[in-house]
Amino acid sequence: MRPIFRSLRGGVALALLTILIGVLVMSFAGTAQVRVANVFFINMIVVLGLQVTMGNSNVANLGHVTFMGIAAYIASILVIPVAIKMSILRTAPFGLTHVELSPVLAAFVAVAITTAIAFIVGLVITRQSGIAGTIVTLAWLVIVHVVIVNWIDLTRGPRALYGIPVSTNTVWLMFISAGAVIAARLFRDSKSGVQLRASGEDIDAAEAMGVNIRWLRLVAWTLSGAIIAVGGVMYAYLIGSISPKSFYFEATFLTLAMLILGGTRSVSGAVIGAIVVTVGFEIMRYFESAPEVLGLQLPQIFGLTGFFLGGTIVVFMALRPDGLIGNDELDEIVERYLGRRRARIEESAGRD
Amino acid sequence: MEYVVQQGFNALSIGGEYALLALGLAIVFSVMGLVNFAHGEFITVSGYTMYALFIFATPTSAWSLLPIGILASITAAVIFERTAFRPIRNAPATTGLLTAFGLSIIVKNFFVTVVATRSKAVPTPDFFNEMISIGGVRIQVLQILEGAVTGLALMLLLILLRSTNIGLAMRAASKDFNTVRLMGIRANQVVLTAFVISGALAGLAAIFIIARRGAADPFMGFAPVLKAFVAAVLGGFGSLAGAVVGGFALGIAEVVFQVVLPESIAGYRDAFVFLFVGGLLVVRPQGILGQKAQFGEKGA
Repeated sequence: MRPIFRSLRGGVALALLTILIGVLVMSFAGTAQVRVANVFFINMIVVLGLQVTMGNSNVANLGHVTFMGIAAYIASILVIPVAIKMSILRTAPFGLTHVELSPVLAAFVAVAITTAIAFIVGLVITRQSGIAGTIVTLAWLVIVHVVIVNWIDLTRGPRALYGIPVSTNTVWLMFISAGAVIAARLFRDSKSGVQLRASGEDIDAAEAMGVNIRWLRLVAWTLSGAIIAVGGVMYAYLIGSISPKSFYFEATFLTLAMLILGGTRSVSGAVIGAIVVTVGFEIMRYFESAPEVLGLQLPQIFGLTGFFLGGTIVVFMALRPDGLIGNDELDEIVERYLGRRRARIEESAGRD
Repeated sequence: MEYVVQQGFNALSIGGEYALLALGLAIVFSVMGLVNFAHGEFITVSGYTMYALFIFATPTSAWSLLPIGILASITAAVIFERTAFRPIRNAPATTGLLTAFGLSIIVKNFFVTVVATRSKAVPTPDFFNEMISIGGVRIQVLQILEGAVTGLALMLLLILLRSTNIGLAMRAASKDFNTVRLMGIRANQVVLTAFVISGALAGLAAIFIIARRGAADPFMGFAPVLKAFVAAVLGGFGSLAGAVVGGFALGIAEVVFQVVLPESIAGYRDAFVFLFVGGLLVVRPQGILGQKAQFGEKGA
């Protein structure tokens, strides 16, 4: 089988799993669970975007949620009805107070602009490897946050930007997530993806083989920015109100923990990490709210979700730095298992 | 003139605080290649220990809280090293960075859980806030102390690094840890010393930070360390002299920005600072004072 088909098959299988989760939630779960699932899909889109750069180039990225924020803000500003903008964004620059686009058009504009921004900053950011490369992304995170908080005319500053028409739902989210899964998987197995992963393993060796590392990193970074931008727009459209703190360290580490837990180097890892952390997070949130378990009134414990998040990162870094999945995709693992079993059967058949 | 002198002292005291923290980051990085983002939690631990002592032991004088604060910070540093950082000592630098972030989240939430999210008042000696006048310029005692203590700490550190065996081992370890081990120096000892020094310096900084804000809260360590981190990067990560220079440079730059920038863009100050750091890293990844690693040395 040609590699592209194998890759597509793996991607589609994982995408179907994503859609299956969405369908199950829609048919059986209550409102609260649907809300959790919606946020899960958005986080998963962001984690997949993060996997595209961090997983392939092996440079830890702390600036990925900026693209979520930028896209969310652009889309929101374009889509909030003029009547509301007259009261909350009266002094918006570029005459944006009087602009009102349809959600779909606003989404396309937001993703396009964010992708362009990702490309431009990527020109600078992707030049560095290792720790320096990570710190540059951290600087980018702080810069974007400071700008969003201070550009009050455009963003309302630290206060929430509200009045965004809720214009997405579980169906949209699950199909977009499925698309992101396939995109991330195809990139991982493409020539560029393979070369980039080689550079992540050994940068000197890859360069000696003629891999254009800088260009490939830029491509991955830009693609990642585009995927995450979609996640950001969906976030704004789902919640209906955004504020700068939704796109800062907390979101960074939540999505980072998801990717680390699953395994940075595989797309399946990103999906599984998003599932496990979301479930864990919800369990922790349940215990945080002083529940009654088996007739026992538990105390209210703030900070449990934080413990879980930090603990996940620390424990996995110490014991399983490759994450639950490691370097392989689920379909590769299944195929290898089947192959081994077939070999065993043939072997035992041959002996008879 | 008086205004200029006062702002000068301001820059000096802020710079001193950043230098203490940046030095702590740099010394750990130079020895074991760890970017310790949990450094700020030393400050937090120190603050809450002082708070706990104040509540439960009700000391008669706030002076007695100070050594406990420093001790708490050192203890935290040693515990972090033993529990979280030892298992990943030989892992890639990114692993350490992420572990430190995770640790930082855990410690913050620990204090959120067992104490509260709201800040708690911690007393410091009144003497710190007195004003004395030097040649007609009134200056806060705290600011003078900060400058003096930073200078003293640097001198002690210099003596330790220059004229003791462990100091020599630490300087050598920043170039090539394996050779240091081949000389019969125990790796654990070198790393532990680095963390103790790092914790002590953070403890000193913690006292000044607490004296200035008068309270402890779970997130108090984050902002100063982000700045210290910038200072360390400016000076060349892992370079000890660079950390000090970077700390003071950042302190001066902040005060100058504060004075010079018009009101309307003053909020963007941190964006400028980080833009500068990012730019510097791109053109000169080894920082202002950092040197390119020579063949056989470990790269920063």
